[in-house]
Amino acid sequence: MARSSVLLVDHNQKSLDMLSSIFQGFGVKEQIKRMTTEDAIKVVDERDLDLILIDSSMPDMDGYEFTRWLRRDTPAPVRYTPVIMLVGHAAQSKVQNSRDCGASFVVTKPLTPNVLLQRILWLGSDERQFVEADTYVGPDRRVRNFGPPLGVPGRRSGDLSEHVGAASEANMEQSAIDMMMKPMKVQL
Amino acid sequence: MSEARTFKVKSSLAKQLFEPGGRLVRDAERLAGEALDTHRDEAMAMIAATLDELEAVCAEAAEGAGKRVYALGAKVIDLAAFFDTGPLHDAAWSLCEVSDRMINAGIWHWPSIQVHLQAMRLILASGCRTGRTSQTLLDGLRKISQRP
Repeated sequence: MARSSVLLVDHNQKSLDMLSSIFQGFGVKEQIKRMTTEDAIKVVDERDLDLILIDSSMPDMDGYEFTRWLRRDTPAPVRYTPVIMLVGHAAQSKVQNSRDCGASFVVTKPLTPNVLLQRILWLGSDERQFVEADTYVGPDRRVRNFGPPLGVPGRRSGDLSEHVGAASEANMEQSAIDMMMKPMKVQL
Repeated sequence: MSEARTFKVKSSLAKQLFEPGGRLVRDAERLAGEALDTHRDEAMAMIAATLDELEAVCAEAAEGAGKRVYALGAKVIDLAAFFDTGPLHDAAWSLCEVSDRMINAGIWHWPSIQVHLQAMRLILASGCRTGRTSQTLLDGLRKISQRP
């Protein structure tokens, strides 16, 4: 991450400092720290960023609303910037927002350097498509592309099939299956 | 409703992560852990201060203090989440769960909050170690949070 610029947003000064120390350890080129989403929006408007980390429970405009704004109201390629949402406790009223805001990854605390680094590396090799629809803008929320069952509306052409075809060979003998599952010594 | 549009995006982060150079994963993790550890004492002191604040809110037992209680529980989670504070984190999470549920239901039960406060104090005083005591405390809190 020696060439990466990362925006860290948390309303708790101490949490922001701890997050910043983690990224210092990761060796990022530049970290920009902000304590309000209003200030974070200014940064997004002015700077190129490679990654955004934001706490979900920001006062006024929370992390979910910020991500929604980023995904819907900013131009490409800014709107595609990976966002990691940090969640402590998800209040009942916010669970749906968390699913629909368009974050690249929702990381629930506790938050160790190992967990964070693994999530960032995962994002680096993220093969998911980006989705733009009336009701959702963000990375595909499905990690496995099975899609809805066959015959149910909403399947996409790229979805993998869950359909199991007819057997093309004769059934195996039970004894042969047993041998595969539990090999035993025999006396010859 | 219009059709959903799907397309591939290659982020600058993805390109940078696989460029040669930079720190090895194990070194990055170790250095981050060391840098984070310098905050531990101050974070624990802040958690203790937050529990003092919660105790004052409980003592006052003011009507409509639910959101304040939830915010203090969330603050404990925020601070505790960076370290290996297992049972303390779990107790704070339970406090948020209980207070969120009571706020949504429009009812409030201070003893449930006070039990959480006392449990968090005991766990913090024992160095946030996982053991039989912390397990018993968390089992008690779970019974409260699962109460209909």
